[in-house]
Amino acid sequence: MLRLGSRSFGPGEFAVMAIVNRTPDSFFDRGATYATDAAFAAIDKAVAEGADLVDIGGVKAGYGEPVSETEELRRTVDFVAAIRARHPDLVISVDTYRSGVARQVAQAGADLINDTWAGADPDLVNAAAESGTGLVCSHVGGLSPRTDPHRMAYDDVVADVIRTTTALADRALAAGVRPDGILIDPTHDFGKNTLQSLELTRRLDELAATGWPVLVAVSNKDFIGETLDLPPGQRGNGTLAALSVSAWLGARVFRVHDVPAARQALDFIAVLRGTAQPAGTRRSLA
Amino acid sequence: MPVVAATVCPHPPLLVPEVASGAAPELDDLRAACLAAVESLATADHILLIGAGTDPRTFDASAGGSFGAYGAPSVRFGSGPPVLPLSLAIGGWLLEQTKAAQLPRTYRAVPADTVPEMCVQLGREIADGNDRVGLLVMGDGSARRSEHSPVHLHPRAEIFDATVANALHHRDLDVLKALDPDLVAELQAAGRAPWQVLAGALEGTSLSGDLTYEAAPYGVGYFVASFT
Repeated sequence: MLRLGSRSFGPGEFAVMAIVNRTPDSFFDRGATYATDAAFAAIDKAVAEGADLVDIGGVKAGYGEPVSETEELRRTVDFVAAIRARHPDLVISVDTYRSGVARQVAQAGADLINDTWAGADPDLVNAAAESGTGLVCSHVGGLSPRTDPHRMAYDDVVADVIRTTTALADRALAAGVRPDGILIDPTHDFGKNTLQSLELTRRLDELAATGWPVLVAVSNKDFIGETLDLPPGQRGNGTLAALSVSAWLGARVFRVHDVPAARQALDFIAVLRGTAQPAGTRRSLA
Repeated sequence: MPVVAATVCPHPPLLVPEVASGAAPELDDLRAACLAAVESLATADHILLIGAGTDPRTFDASAGGSFGAYGAPSVRFGSGPPVLPLSLAIGGWLLEQTKAAQLPRTYRAVPADTVPEMCVQLGREIADGNDRVGLLVMGDGSARRSEHSPVHLHPRAEIFDATVANALHHRDLDVLKALDPDLVAELQAAGRAPWQVLAGALEGTSLSGDLTYEAAPYGVGYFVASFT
């Protein structure tokens, strides 16, 4: 059982994590929800559309303007507190690699720390342990935060991802992070070329077999764009294909930009997998 | 007998069509320039490939090269296990496609942080041998040439690469020997050590340079040069 905030997600249950960036420069939305009002509206909409979690980011993942810890705190802490007040049961995740930010957003009501940079700040696990939040353990192939991959090489990318993320998960466990709050994320595109991200998608069952709940963040990423030769605004269909295969192979949490599309695809796959019933089956049965 | 011909080529994995998939045609001109330059080594009796690697090592002709680590396991050569670092794997892969593939070959990996004096000295030792050697020197320019580079734009990257290109074209060995390892590390140019080996190896020859390709289509500097 995966427990985040007041919610529990059993095996076979898919959780949708809506991305809400408090950044002026993120690759997909280009700052659409940088302003507070727009961000609140985006969260209300995501919840109405079926999101179980929101993931708040105060720093663009890729290369960009430096964002100080003070500025990241300014973008996230009060915002998290306000979301908590508006949506008591919503699972709030914060995308940060800084332990200082993790501690303060946890106090403000965050339930999950999404450490996309794979433990770059070694104190982050302690922050999660002390505050009782969950923690996402990711794989970036040894990259430093906010850098891009150049000629990343892996004897076996899936084996490397499993080795790294499970080691981080074990470390989190040893540091006192709740065992039912730890997720692993293969982190498509980060420290990987497109062929490597495709291989991860194809063999996601091997990650699921570790027993740790798997989070996938494939939404609109470059490996989808390169595969289909499409720019960021036109990767929605490819995203759904990658998401659906990941779900079929055992992923549990899905970080997405388009909540209703993901929810619909996942609801359908839940029925295919036999963990949910069709909404109603009248055809040819009357 | 010293070095009778030398070629400089870059080593992006993208050069291998199976790695680039649909993007392969974008580097057709670079691939053709590399193959033409490697072809010119066929007059030698022995090919020595030099490229950056983690450890200072020599590999014999049976050493394997594979691009599985970059997502294309179907492309491999050599009878042994795939031990060659990327630079030498690309070199071997190019060599396999030319007449020079028939010649005896040796691979030499030079760590990227080898000091210039040692690189030049290694070049001189190569030139002192008895074989008529053809050198295939693998090296890239700066990986920080543009806003969209793998590593973000560095203001000195373009002038650095222009300096190297000019030195290769005019066989200016002093410029190659003087490339500063600290600046090169900052600019992330993988070719410095191999180019300095080349500079040492060319000292006693009258070979002249010809730069046949110089561009940075993805923000990494690529050069092809022949010394004949």
